Amino acid sequence: MLKVRIIPCLQLIDQSLVKTVQFGKYSYIGDPINTVRIFNELEVDELCFLDIRATVQKRTPNLKILSEIADECFMPLSYGGGVKDAETAKKILSIGFEKIIINTAAIENPALIMEIAKHSGNQSVIVSIDVKRSIWGGYVVYSNDGTMKTKLNPIEWARKVEEYGAGELLITSMDQDGTWKGFDNEIIRNISEAVSIPVIANGGAGAISDIGKAANIGKASAVALGSMVVFQKKGMGVLVNFPDKNEVEKELI
Amino acid sequence: MISNDMKICSRCIYDERTPAITFDEEGVCNYCKTFDSLLEEYQTGKPEGEKRMNEIIEEIKKNGKGKKYDCVIGVSGGTDSSFMVYWAVQKGLRPLAVHYDNTWNTSIATENIRKVLGKLKVDLYTHVCDNKEADDIFKAFFVAGVPEIEASTDLALAETMYRAAAKYKVKYVLEGHSFIAEGITPLGKNYFDGKYIKNIHKKYGKLPLKTYPLMTFRNLIKWTTIYRIKKIRPLWYIEYNKEDARVFLENMFGWQYYGGHHLENRMTSFFQSIYCPDKFNIDYRNNSLSALVRAGKMKREQAIYEYYETSPYIEPELLNYFKKRLVLSDEEYNTIMKSPPRYWYEFPTYKKRFERLRPLFYLLMKANLIPRSFYMKYCFPTQINKN
Amino acid sequence: MGNLGSVKNMLKYIGAESTITANPVELREAQKIILPGVGSFDQAMKRIEESGFREVLDAKALTEKVPVLGICLGMQLLTYGSEEGVILGLGWIPARAIHFPSDNGLKVPHMGWNIVTPSTPSPLCEKLPGESRFYFVHSYYVKVENESCSILKTNYGLNFDSAIQKGNIFGVQFHPEKSHKLGMQLLRNFAYLQ
Repeated sequence: MLKVRIIPCLQLIDQSLVKTVQFGKYSYIGDPINTVRIFNELEVDELCFLDIRATVQKRTPNLKILSEIADECFMPLSYGGGVKDAETAKKILSIGFEKIIINTAAIENPALIMEIAKHSGNQSVIVSIDVKRSIWGGYVVYSNDGTMKTKLNPIEWARKVEEYGAGELLITSMDQDGTWKGFDNEIIRNISEAVSIPVIANGGAGAISDIGKAANIGKASAVALGSMVVFQKKGMGVLVNFPDKNEVEKELI
Repeated sequence: MISNDMKICSRCIYDERTPAITFDEEGVCNYCKTFDSLLEEYQTGKPEGEKRMNEIIEEIKKNGKGKKYDCVIGVSGGTDSSFMVYWAVQKGLRPLAVHYDNTWNTSIATENIRKVLGKLKVDLYTHVCDNKEADDIFKAFFVAGVPEIEASTDLALAETMYRAAAKYKVKYVLEGHSFIAEGITPLGKNYFDGKYIKNIHKKYGKLPLKTYPLMTFRNLIKWTTIYRIKKIRPLWYIEYNKEDARVFLENMFGWQYYGGHHLENRMTSFFQSIYCPDKFNIDYRNNSLSALVRAGKMKREQAIYEYYETSPYIEPELLNYFKKRLVLSDEEYNTIMKSPPRYWYEFPTYKKRFERLRPLFYLLMKANLIPRSFYMKYCFPTQINKN
Repeated sequence: MGNLGSVKNMLKYIGAESTITANPVELREAQKIILPGVGSFDQAMKRIEESGFREVLDAKALTEKVPVLGICLGMQLLTYGSEEGVILGLGWIPARAIHFPSDNGLKVPHMGWNIVTPSTPSPLCEKLPGESRFYFVHSYYVKVENESCSILKTNYGLNFDSAIQKGNIFGVQFHPEKSHKLGMQLLRNFAYLQ
């Protein structure tokens, strides 16, 4: 049967790899190409790159570095960050990325989802939704790298986005991001049960047991790891790594 | 390619091109003499040496009571530092491993660090320089035409270790340097300090330095006199065989040998296998080969053969990687490589200051706050053969 | 169309030379052919027909009998046709591409790492260990009419043919160029076929 995919999710700010905490401060992780080589050797399932400040800093994706990254990888790759039109999406897909991730652009122009899907297939479009708990209970969708609050309800937006042709959803909990405290399995499950497309849980992984929880409780089809794969442990130094496959398997039974 | 007239030490294999070298009536060089005197002074590998090391260990443990860690060890993924962490844990110390990432590590280095620290349950502290900044400094040194392209990494590691020690109130930094395994680095042609790095970068670099940990003179004085962080080199006291260590690490941790001195980092590889031989006609292999000969672990004839008749190993694609990362066209690269070498004494440095403050550094050395080799190299005027 | 760059990269890594071409004339020189695929069935078949590739492909595959490897959609193109479209496939291997059922609780597309089990022995699958996983991403699966054409099978709610072969013509539903070392082994097997 299909394994639950475990995807290192690496944050790019222009040409450097970084890691944020709660969408705020970040630390340097290293050179993207070098890091990709390490993940290649570790034979990770899939790799995801997000240029988190591209939209806010009004930058377009750096095709040169994406090309270099794609040249190094022998596993599926997805990219998100500053993708606003189908042309850019197509270019990135053609240089060796399997999937495009769009967030703010999908909110501003949902037809973009359909445009990309029509040309390259639904499975090539991942819509990323950043969610935060609201003080009134419930969750709210944010855009622009978590800087702008929208009026969207995550579950309804997820359903809408599926209708528009998204192949997958990347659900990121802003509250949990970088905290090592575990995923927000409540919202992950709510969304996963509302749609028929795969959901990738993101934000908060701190231990291998969190992977199990996201799959079993959150009903996620895949799990994204951020801090866990770039730091030795919480509060300690940068060290690119990947959870032991045998230990993960035990969690997922 | 030996010319019959070139004088080579009758004991090791340093030849007359080595800076500040002299030969006695039997043709033995002064570096061999230094080696002998260090061996005698530290009683390396002998009961007295081991005893002294144990005394230092007791000191470290005492000082570390109530603290999260009692010492700091710089790790690179290489043989010496990996072994040191194991040794420290065996001796009952509670080390914090420290790594400075210049972003040119090979995956072997990262994996080795991960495996060794993981199994020994040792925590890791790192400082990662922004890759663009690190590259900007490397490129500045390359364009300047000076040999010390690795200086920024070495100094940054030293500064990072001090910062880590200060953060956790640790007073001891253990260094994996072994004069037996690595030899005595000749004084003279290579030199670096914080002012030198800052100036080369200011003159030839483009990006502001925001994440690079610069060791200024002030910082050095702060770490040694105010924080009083000591530097200890266990491998100067204890029995240590690099080949045995390698095999041990492989079996115990699944550690991987990277095939040659320092090939765990691509900038170091470039420096040793391409930059120094091609531009400065320096082949650093004689350091470790001479060391092996002096220690009786390799026959002199074998070392001479290896050094003069073979070339350093070069990882395929290394040069392409170097040019790509530093954004150098083939033409630019060739022009710079062919341009006349320049040397540290042509640029502003702290050297004169170190010489003037020799009495202070003498005291620091006596208190183990700076290594003796540092004192010898920095606080005395260097003989410069300008040829 | 598709991840040609990635295929070329992996081939380069294993020491095999390859050229990417959009020119049917260039294709005539090929000793082996790899047909990639991302996108939709009809789009792909249309491109093949309209570009002049069709004649060359038929000649190379059926007359000259050079080894041909179809990847993902490329494998589906080798069949008679797909439920995804109305245009006929190349028809080189008797088989059809069918949409995964959407009502059995499993998400579509089939996306991720899944196990392949050997069926009819084939030189393409040499040295692949018992529990080999490859990366799949597809909404349509292939069912061959003749079991001897099925060389690897995979289960996703139902059993389907994840790799097929008829003589010199091969197809793999998964993406070897995205499947690390096992993908390399498979491409190596193809590259060094006589």
